[in-house]
Amino acid sequence: MATDPMAQIRASFFVECEELLESLQDSLSALQDGSSDSETVNTVFRAVHSIKGGAGAFGLDALVAFAHRYETVLDALRAGRLEVTPDAVRSFFQAADLLQDHVRAAHDGTPAPEGAEAVLCALETLIGGPAEPEASPGFQPVPFAFEPIPLALDFDAPDDLPAPARWIIRFRPADALYASGNEPLHLLRALAALGAAEVRCDTSDVPALEALRPDAALLSWRITLPGEIAEEELREVFDFVEDVCTLEIGREAEAAGARPPAPAIVAPQAVTSVARPPAVAEAPAEPAPPPGPVERRATPRETAATVRVDLDRIDRLVNLVGELVINQAMLAQSVAEAGLPPNSAVMTGLEAFMMLTRDLQDSVMMIRAQPVKPLFQRMARIVREASTAVGKEVRLHTEGEATEVDKTVIERLAEPLTHMIRNAVDHGLETPELRLAAGKAAEGVISLSAQHRSGRIVIEVADDGAGINRPKVREIALARGLIPADAALTDAEIDALLFLPGFSTASQVSALSGRGVGMDVVRQAIQSLGGRVTIQSAPGQGTRFSISLPLTLAVLDGMVVSVADETLVVPLASILETATLAEGDIRALGPQTNVIHLRGAFVPLYDLGAELGYRAPKPSYEGGIVLLTAQEDGSRAALIVDAIHEQRQVVIKGLQQAYGRIPGVAAATILGNGRIALILDTADLVQTATGRTRIRPLALAG
Amino acid sequence: MTTLALAPRLDLTHAEQALTAIRACEGQPLVLDAGGVTHLGGLGLQILLAAARSWRAAGLALTISPRSPAFEEALSLFGLPLDALQSEGAAWA
Repeated sequence: MATDPMAQIRASFFVECEELLESLQDSLSALQDGSSDSETVNTVFRAVHSIKGGAGAFGLDALVAFAHRYETVLDALRAGRLEVTPDAVRSFFQAADLLQDHVRAAHDGTPAPEGAEAVLCALETLIGGPAEPEASPGFQPVPFAFEPIPLALDFDAPDDLPAPARWIIRFRPADALYASGNEPLHLLRALAALGAAEVRCDTSDVPALEALRPDAALLSWRITLPGEIAEEELREVFDFVEDVCTLEIGREAEAAGARPPAPAIVAPQAVTSVARPPAVAEAPAEPAPPPGPVERRATPRETAATVRVDLDRIDRLVNLVGELVINQAMLAQSVAEAGLPPNSAVMTGLEAFMMLTRDLQDSVMMIRAQPVKPLFQRMARIVREASTAVGKEVRLHTEGEATEVDKTVIERLAEPLTHMIRNAVDHGLETPELRLAAGKAAEGVISLSAQHRSGRIVIEVADDGAGINRPKVREIALARGLIPADAALTDAEIDALLFLPGFSTASQVSALSGRGVGMDVVRQAIQSLGGRVTIQSAPGQGTRFSISLPLTLAVLDGMVVSVADETLVVPLASILETATLAEGDIRALGPQTNVIHLRGAFVPLYDLGAELGYRAPKPSYEGGIVLLTAQEDGSRAALIVDAIHEQRQVVIKGLQQAYGRIPGVAAATILGNGRIALILDTADLVQTATGRTRIRPLALAG
Repeated sequence: MTTLALAPRLDLTHAEQALTAIRACEGQPLVLDAGGVTHLGGLGLQILLAAARSWRAAGLALTISPRSPAFEEALSLFGLPLDALQSEGAAWA
């Protein structure tokens, strides 16, 4: 075998762990929100239990030990011996965080995280003492805490039967059981731990050495156990292997004749033939369906069919599709130049081809898209840790977790988002005393939301704290020489000071109710993703940071325009409308700048050709074409272009690696005619633009 | 008499190796050293059973000695006597 099968199974175990940890977090959040129904509690328990079970199979003892003690406390919760209190939920969250650390440590082979003992002790005080140590490090079934439900087969058995008939378990692993890293030895050990087990191994299928395949499952077992053991306990042992083995669980007496109709239980051999039973009889296709209500059973993990693919391969595919799009544009151009009639077969075929390419591209992008949920869950942990550190009560409210974004975007968003969340806890929210004094609840709320908005994803971090203390921010900016003393700044401009490099140090800002620790780093990280971050703040009500990002870093819808014989692409998402300027639309404002009058509002006018240095401002813009663009903060700007050519999807080719960051330019693309066109970042462009749209009159200049 | 030391873990990962190693010793009396075995899995057990079968068919002795506590424990959990894995060989037959 080329690859180590164990390593593969191990890898998929850790993938599974991530999913389980995710559902653990989800259910704990549900508990926190007050839904303490048995389903939620069970999911919590299941997640921990499954991680323990898997870890046992790989001999990850530290992880097993931790999960076991955690699980024991959760079991008390499930059995109703423990109330769901806010304190308990907090401990559960802490333990879940540590469990995650343990899983990571086991994955990386690093030492187990510290502080586990303290968290576990805190947990165990909830149930009044430490749990019994894990007896077998490999695997131990934990009894279900549900009320025993009378089984249908009990109806004709007298209740006062002194000793119930013994259990007979027939168990035959399939090849897949071994291949998935499971081990009958652990199962047998777990059964032996339940009671005095009588184990008989059937070796009749084992051939001589020459004919043996090392990975074939050839053994089967017949285990007799005392009848007092609950069926659930027996079934739990086989929880993880049910689908990779043949399993029959029945009572000895059933074989005697008074057997209820339980089709899959093939009992006669169970008692009558002490010798080796024929192999055929003990291989029914399906494991015996358990009688009784469904919720008693382990809900099998919902495994949506997935394939794990190397990211490199996807990136290559994305690239190829990008090339295809460019090529198709070139083809379209040559066809157009050939002067074929518009409804010729070539044209219609090409149109269909274009639609297919577009679909193909969307599908490829969807492969890379992932929900932001794991990212948000990481943030939940940051909130818990940060709030404990500063002694504030904080509640994180998340929205839009299912929103999907490109994987790269998610990965690179983690760090700035962490920063922003920490800031929100540390500086955004007031202390509980101050909050109470201000008439707010002692518990602060931070909301984190994600949503798609016109082809971009908008992530917002909002707190209900005191808002930005603008006079203080201004004072600091002055003291640091970031603004001139007489600067007249609007509220928004003051808020934006927080993003200036060198605005703050931690000591300065901790004294503030505002914020600013490393916000310039946050902005930089977001800009490098082609995104923008803006602040809104209301005194006494809180602060809201909005991050707007492109959904993907690979393609965008753009409008192809030309300015001074240069072809440019303006992202469609930033364009509100296009218009032709008439005589009365242009109004002079200031010595060199103009505004345009558009439906009762004035919008600053920028000449793209002048701003990009292609030409000097024109003497008159009458009859010119403008693109009305909108920024994230709602402000608008009108950009003059010479002509609008078409609207199309363009493949983004990054410039930053080769040229560094160019103000106003986001990236480049290759057009159908093979020429390179710059993709503009209008918001950035407008920020640095001069707005010169008039030539200074000679009389004044001289 | 040839002696072959068994790997510490006789599971999925090491089954093939163990099988190859034991096959290489066929045709002669063999002592398997299970003193260092920390984990005897179902697949490992099958190999030992198959070996015992082959050795018995050839009328040769196959002995497992020494045996680690883990080996002994696994055997009893599997519900098999030691004899099932050994061959007494022709001399005692």
